[in-house]
Amino acid sequence: MTSLEATAARYVGARVPRVEDPRLLTGHGTFVDDVTRPGMLHACFVRSPFARARLGRIDATVALDLPGVRAVFAAADLNPGVHEQWYTLIGKDVPDTPRPPLAEGEARFVGDPVALVVATDRYVAEDAADLVDVDYEPLPPVVDYTTALAATELVHEAYPGNLAGALGAPMSEDLAAVFGGAAHVTSATIHQQAYAPVPMETRGMVAEWSGDELTVWSATQAPHEVRMFLARLLGIAEHQVRVIMRDTGGAFGQKVLPLREDMCIALAAMRLPAALKWIEDRRENLLAAGMSRHEHGEAQMAFDGDGRILAAHLDHVQDVGAYPTPWPVGTAMAVGLLFPGPYRVPAAGYRTTSLFSNTSGRTAYRGPWQFESVAREVLLDIAARRMGIDPVDLRRRNLLRHDELPHTNPNGMPYSDMTPIETFEQALGMLDHEAFRREQADARATGRYLGMGTCSYAEPTTSAMAFQGTEGATVRIEPSGKVNVYVAGGSTGNSLETAVVQLTADALGVDIADVRTVQGDTAVTPFGAGTGGSRSGSMLAGAVEESTTVLRERIVTIAAHQLEAAPEDIELADSSARVRGTPAVSVPLAEIADIAYFQPHRLPEGVPPGLEVSARYRARSPLIWANATHLCTCEVDPVTGAVTVLRYIVSEDCGPMINPNVVEGQIAGGSVQGIGGVLYEHLAYDEDGNPLTTTFMDYLLPTATEVPVIEYGHIETPSPGPGGYKGVGEGGAIGAPPAVINAVADALSPLGVEITRLPLTPAAVVALIEGAR
Amino acid sequence: MTVVREIDVEVRVNGAAYRCGVPPRLTLADFLRERCGLTGTHLGCEHGVCGACTVLLDGEAVRSCLVFAVQADGAEVTTVEGMAGPGDELSPVQAAFRDHHGLQCGFCTPGFVVSVTAFLRDHPDPTDEEIRQGLSGNLCRCTGYQGIIAAVRAAAGQHARRGREEPTAAHP
Amino acid sequence: MIPATFDYRRADSVADALALLHEYGDEAKLLAGGHSLLPLMKLRLATPQMLVDVGRLGQLSYVRQEGDEVAIGALTRHRDLEVSEVARHSVPVLAHVAGQVGDPQVRHRGTIGGSIAHGDPASDLPAVVLALGGTLVVDGPGGRREIPSTEFFTGFLETAVRPDEMLVEIRVASTAGGWSFQKFNRRAQDWAIVGAVAVAAADGATRVSLVHMGATPLRAAATESALAGGATPAEAAAVAAEGLEPPSDANASREYRRHLAEVLVRRALEDVSLGHG
Repeated sequence: MTSLEATAARYVGARVPRVEDPRLLTGHGTFVDDVTRPGMLHACFVRSPFARARLGRIDATVALDLPGVRAVFAAADLNPGVHEQWYTLIGKDVPDTPRPPLAEGEARFVGDPVALVVATDRYVAEDAADLVDVDYEPLPPVVDYTTALAATELVHEAYPGNLAGALGAPMSEDLAAVFGGAAHVTSATIHQQAYAPVPMETRGMVAEWSGDELTVWSATQAPHEVRMFLARLLGIAEHQVRVIMRDTGGAFGQKVLPLREDMCIALAAMRLPAALKWIEDRRENLLAAGMSRHEHGEAQMAFDGDGRILAAHLDHVQDVGAYPTPWPVGTAMAVGLLFPGPYRVPAAGYRTTSLFSNTSGRTAYRGPWQFESVAREVLLDIAARRMGIDPVDLRRRNLLRHDELPHTNPNGMPYSDMTPIETFEQALGMLDHEAFRREQADARATGRYLGMGTCSYAEPTTSAMAFQGTEGATVRIEPSGKVNVYVAGGSTGNSLETAVVQLTADALGVDIADVRTVQGDTAVTPFGAGTGGSRSGSMLAGAVEESTTVLRERIVTIAAHQLEAAPEDIELADSSARVRGTPAVSVPLAEIADIAYFQPHRLPEGVPPGLEVSARYRARSPLIWANATHLCTCEVDPVTGAVTVLRYIVSEDCGPMINPNVVEGQIAGGSVQGIGGVLYEHLAYDEDGNPLTTTFMDYLLPTATEVPVIEYGHIETPSPGPGGYKGVGEGGAIGAPPAVINAVADALSPLGVEITRLPLTPAAVVALIEGAR
Repeated sequence: MTVVREIDVEVRVNGAAYRCGVPPRLTLADFLRERCGLTGTHLGCEHGVCGACTVLLDGEAVRSCLVFAVQADGAEVTTVEGMAGPGDELSPVQAAFRDHHGLQCGFCTPGFVVSVTAFLRDHPDPTDEEIRQGLSGNLCRCTGYQGIIAAVRAAAGQHARRGREEPTAAHP
Repeated sequence: MIPATFDYRRADSVADALALLHEYGDEAKLLAGGHSLLPLMKLRLATPQMLVDVGRLGQLSYVRQEGDEVAIGALTRHRDLEVSEVARHSVPVLAHVAGQVGDPQVRHRGTIGGSIAHGDPASDLPAVVLALGGTLVVDGPGGRREIPSTEFFTGFLETAVRPDEMLVEIRVASTAGGWSFQKFNRRAQDWAIVGAVAVAAADGATRVSLVHMGATPLRAAATESALAGGATPAEAAAVAAEGLEPPSDANASREYRRHLAEVLVRRALEDVSLGHG
């Protein structure tokens, strides 16, 4: 194999400018709303204004009279068109929760789609939606998931106690015995508010049925999932569905699976003479594109007299809204499994409970199991203070070292290739922890409240589960020697185009400017699972490696034949094949391509013609572990409750970096989402189930004026996967919230404040201080 | 409901004249996207917060979702498509965004490019605080603003240097 | 988020605008920068049948020194006010606050007249005009009339401007003394959760107004009388919320707003007494 390797990497590992950028910077990207088709029609949903209501007659007479209105569909029109409804990512055998395209019988949250209007123009469609007369009979809603189990009202009749599912167990007798004999036991119930992915581009789809083929332009993370899902939904063959995505404006989990509106658009398009476009507006996005992070947990840890962890247990309860996607019970299990985190925890247990409510459904969001870190890290700080030691010291006594791995956590998670204490110490060093403690003490003496908080987590990336376990790439060297790489795509800001081009250029020894990539069109790209689960770096590297290995072998064989050299002496560089040590003896790639395509008689015996190879990578390990330590410092104004983040440090181990710019961009973006989640964002409902944050005036995303400078430390421990790469997409959003919470808690610790409820709005901070008095 | 009456408007966009009848409620953003085919101007919220739809209206950065096309009658509009130099060469601001990883998904990017271009014209040598304030009308969900702020700082440096070399290019 | 249909007329003069308002009556709304009106129209919380566009009335965009007063045309954009040499010299608090409204794009488009005529209690500029003891000049069928700012804001999003009238000018006295603007919000671009303006007036009194502390922009009457009675800044600030019924919303409870009002008024008064501004 070594004889076939290209020359040293020129591009992988470097801060290569992105190939996506020129089109996006000049306004020439193609997002779904940029797609127009001849005679295209526009959709607008009629949505329930009630959290829960029995649906009576839906009268569209007036709406249909409006010039330009082509159709109004209700559940009775569209829902019977559903053949099968399950996601490839999850499989069809899970006990999935209901997900009707349009609301049937009952509207179950404010924003629940009850009818679909189709018109020649988006303006008219929206006018007509206002004219659809829906007979609602309001019913008492289940708004607060924390009391849903005991509620007499049910979100779904088939789910007694509003229980979507539960896994794990309450604390066992054995575990209770460990707690009973421990020197210290700390317990806290920690509540996290609902917030959401909120990509800058809302959801959207254009669907066009030709009578034989459905072409779909979609804002998605996984075009092949959309294709398979819609084929099953509509009862047509996979190869009758083509899904195209060029540019998608952020997703963060929200676009990993088609949701109910997507189903409606596809179902409606089958009955319309022209393409149908739906572009969600921001109000709909905040009403109905899903909610995440709404959960709480009773976290408990037992310690010996030296502050060493003896046992841990988490009793976790999550709000799954009315129509969660995907099946929420499975993802909740990860919260329990990961609760011990990157620490030496000899014994542990967990229980998770998923409860329905009459609110927007729970959807995937960047590190969907993130609450394990919130619960653990906040609890550790509380425990440290109650034991009278610095939270830093408590962690130093318990964090795993690289040389202790592999190590299986008490819930069965097989940790490997991580550096928990090493990232922790790197972050502390970047801060100068002792200097900060002095600065903090000086500030306190003058009535100023500074604090620092950390979060160390272990993150499973690149799951090899089913659909995500393999990834394909086709590499085609054109007759000119230029290169095209085809992969499934699903890049929503993840820089997959740049990554693939970097990897391919190095693998083939060609200039990066000679490589282009085609992604996001199911008709021409290999099958693949798209972005999600921090998988793309490793899986695409594997896919490119598989196909370029075959190509390199072929090129080398042809070149060796041409140059009358031994194949093991051939190296690929500068878009040519040459004899190692004698670069003048070479044959350009273009010439090899010319032979391969147009002069097959010159090919050596047994070498197939052409320079196009499709190959598929199968993940080498069930998971790839990444880890990081986030460290935040802040100042709190105890009078107004305002929190100012001062320094923000991330020491991350995502293995060797394909492109440090991309890695740092992912860390920064995720971290700022986490900071937003603690300090600004809240997808809030009143007690009647009315949403309070349906515009960007109410749902507060962090802006440039609030965010700190993010400082990066890198530790590069190779994974067992190709190139040693690990996933990095989600970690920032996992690590940031606990670090910020702990920083605020540390700042306010002299006032006796303990933080167990989020978000930390200025008003909430003032209330905490008042409460501690 | 009021009878829809179309009103003739003429708007110069990126130097080209567009003349057509529009309903009064057509936003400038939709005019640019649908009537002019300039889809680089994006709609991220449609209610005047996210700034993705920012364009230059008679030289000033404004949100095109909060302006009706009829209000822009007779005006000069520059969109992100009009920012690049001859031969599609990236403008200094665009190049700085590329060099400093100032974009990921690219959806908010046109608004940032337009805002920053106007900002640096008015503040050729900004402090970091001024940069952050200058960006406060544009939301980004991917980058955490790190690369964007770095890009503005870098573009400002270039701007200041160019300003010194060519005093006529400097704005008051 | 599409506004309902409406008809549109562009006014070429104030007289033209007034004639259109007269013709269309209650169905008409004036459109200046549109930054208060358009979001409401897009959410269909406002559905005017007729928009009278006064945005081109360049003659109403000015900042002029007139004796001891500064006159500001109603269509002066926030950005123009922020950088106006006259405003910076004679009423620096007004120029400063104009630079704090919203974000750059809002300031390029929004006008002082639009902001004041909208009468939003959460807006910054109405509070400044109140603290400056300003006068609002409206034009209408009966000619121009002047309304003291204390009588201008009559209810939630309601003002003393009649449906057939139009705000044309804002007049404020030049200030020589200290001033302070304390705005508390969660992000730079947001409306104030609470804001406080304090201005040392020429007559020796200190006037204080509050943002987002009631149905209208308002003066902190209890604080002002305490100050007049010789109270210290801390004492006067302690009564800042007295008699006020601020709103409760997702950002802040009524109680938290009261607390903030006291804090911000104290900071503003201390700022003024230190001679800042």
